Amino acid sequence: MKIKILIFIIIWLVSFFNFSYADNSEKVDQISKNLRCLICQGQSVYDSQSDFALSMKILIQNKIDEGQNDEQIYDFLKSKYGEWIVYDPEINKNTVLLWVLPLILFVFGSILILRKVSIK
Amino acid sequence: MLNQIGNYSLYIALISSILIIIQSPILLSRNNINVSGRIFSLISIQSLMIIISFIALIIAFIVSDFSNETVYNNSHTSKPLFYKISGTWGNHEGSLLLWLLVLSIFLLIFTITSKNLSNKYRILTLFFQEIIILGFLLFILFTSNPFMSLFPIPNEGTGLNPILQDPALAIHPPILYLGYVGASIIFSSSLAALISGSVNKTWAKHIKNWVLVSWIFLSIGILLGSIWAYYELGWGGFWFWDPVENVSLMPWFCLTALFHTVLTLEKREMFQSWAVILSITTFSLSMSGTFLVRSGILNSIHTFANDPSRGVFILCFLFILITLSIFIYFFYQNKIKNNFSKTYIVSKEAAVLINNLFMMFFLSVVLIGTVYPIFLEVLNNDKISVGPPFYHKLIVPFMIPFLIFMAIGPNLNWIKDKINKINLQQLLFFILSIIISFIFLKRVGISYLLSLPLFIASFFLFFITIKDFSVKKTNLSQKISHFGFSLFILSVLINGVLAKEYSSNMKVGDERKFLNKTIKFESLKINENKNYQSLEANFKITDKNNSINLKPEVRVYDQPQTITSEADIKSTLYSDNFLVFNILKNDGFYNVRYQIKPFMIWIWISIILISFGGILSIVKKNG
Repeated sequence: MKIKILIFIIIWLVSFFNFSYADNSEKVDQISKNLRCLICQGQSVYDSQSDFALSMKILIQNKIDEGQNDEQIYDFLKSKYGEWIVYDPEINKNTVLLWVLPLILFVFGSILILRKVSIK
Repeated sequence: MLNQIGNYSLYIALISSILIIIQSPILLSRNNINVSGRIFSLISIQSLMIIISFIALIIAFIVSDFSNETVYNNSHTSKPLFYKISGTWGNHEGSLLLWLLVLSIFLLIFTITSKNLSNKYRILTLFFQEIIILGFLLFILFTSNPFMSLFPIPNEGTGLNPILQDPALAIHPPILYLGYVGASIIFSSSLAALISGSVNKTWAKHIKNWVLVSWIFLSIGILLGSIWAYYELGWGGFWFWDPVENVSLMPWFCLTALFHTVLTLEKREMFQSWAVILSITTFSLSMSGTFLVRSGILNSIHTFANDPSRGVFILCFLFILITLSIFIYFFYQNKIKNNFSKTYIVSKEAAVLINNLFMMFFLSVVLIGTVYPIFLEVLNNDKISVGPPFYHKLIVPFMIPFLIFMAIGPNLNWIKDKINKINLQQLLFFILSIIISFIFLKRVGISYLLSLPLFIASFFLFFITIKDFSVKKTNLSQKISHFGFSLFILSVLINGVLAKEYSSNMKVGDERKFLNKTIKFESLKINENKNYQSLEANFKITDKNNSINLKPEVRVYDQPQTITSEADIKSTLYSDNFLVFNILKNDGFYNVRYQIKPFMIWIWISIILISFGGILSIVKKNG
């Protein structure tokens, strides 16, 4: 309960501050569209109105104001919340199949078709 | 009382199912017996019983019979009648009963309409279909019985998720299920045709209508789902690449590929094995769709009712069906009579192959994107999210050649066509598309280097499909569907590029400037409704020439307690004005999101056109 009140107060405070800088909000939109709202069911941070999403948008705004670029912000969020938070998974040893498998299937299918059709 | 009626009729249906399954092999061994005898009456009894049980459940919902556990969990006396009825399938148990209902009615229709086909093929189809029905009956009776009794009888139910209390979503599941279940007939009949050695023109002609029927219902079902997501979820988007949405899209790709393949099979007696494989895949995808949605494995905004233990049953059932079909496929595959006719590279056959290649690619992107995170989590304990950027990156580049092939393909002749025919007229349209896309993107003022080829390809398809209306060779239904598709792609693209959005926190009386418009928060009032309270805001949006009023709502439902935001949308032929607001925790402030969505209505119209082409094709055949 205490934590809830604390979060509430923090959000209330921060969202008050938030009114002062409405600029740069397009960048926030762009980034928050790529982030999963962790406490929601399948909504992006951008689309959600939950406490988590609101504080997340403020966090991103602050990072932008500090002069960080997109990549630094994504990296920070990933280190804090894990890969789960980004909708656009990076290519690493875990996700290489995810990206490549459809392409392999396409190439495989093309070869099958090319072998079946005759040019003349 | 209703519970007993429902239960007993389901048990009678179960017995008929078992009887049919036992009798079919006996009937098969005797050659001259007609299906219309005993089996037909068993099927009729079964359908009747399932209809009775479904009606019993609907009545239980209408009269709010809380001695029924399903009704207690999903209804409330204060709900409007319409949502009491739609509540019947707005939950796990009821939706499965609906699946079953459609399964048995489709089987009945199949039995009646296939009278001029071979006996063996019909009995085998009935046999496989009955296995599916039996599986669903067992599943319903032993894990998700909608007729469980409660004692003592509660006075009041717990209510239906308010987010589901919506006209589009009330009819969305039944329509979608008609599509899914239509795939079961395709599955059963393809296995039957395989075993009876009749994967040929006659079969293609017969099954084509079923493919079309499922495809039409699936298309309209998906459309209703996206319209609902558009105005109810408050995203302003119509497709989020959410797992539950993806699950309905996968069989659609498969059915689209299957339809083109079956057409070729009908005309040219080619691609028999491929048609069977696609039929099996389509149904497997429909079934896994139900499994994934119902099991709660997916993290999605659409998972309303789920229970992991039930997933195990569907998973086992699915496993049995797929194994069975693969086994049958390899065992009887050599019965397929291939006439080994050549496919020339410039021919309609090759175009169909290319269509299938792309459909399978899009399918694999969506399938892998949807299930990969699940597997990764199980195997590696790593949680990743696969969202819109992934799908866009993989699908969009492939869209460009796909659209161009789609423009060229339908104009080719069967067997072999000349290459030089492609060049002249089409080149002109291609140049025109380049010019228009260039001017358009220039005027929009975005340096979308990647978008240029995409726009060129879509404009090209758009012009060609319009031009095709003047060509007599192809049939009208195809022209309408293909034109619908080109309109769809173009509207989605233009919508994506030109959409404008403004979001701000406002108080009553506030005014904000956005582009050349003024958004004014005029007033706020509270309405009392039958089962919810609503906070209705009034916004006035003024630009140079005119002004519109938008009245979005925030609804507070009491049974169960939920808050939903209802967007207000004013649609014109050019664009939608979309406004939604949310309660903020700071006193007096509301989060307001205003969007201008160009060509939104054309996205819906184009999908209706796509489906209409299919409907026309069925009507013309039978008319």
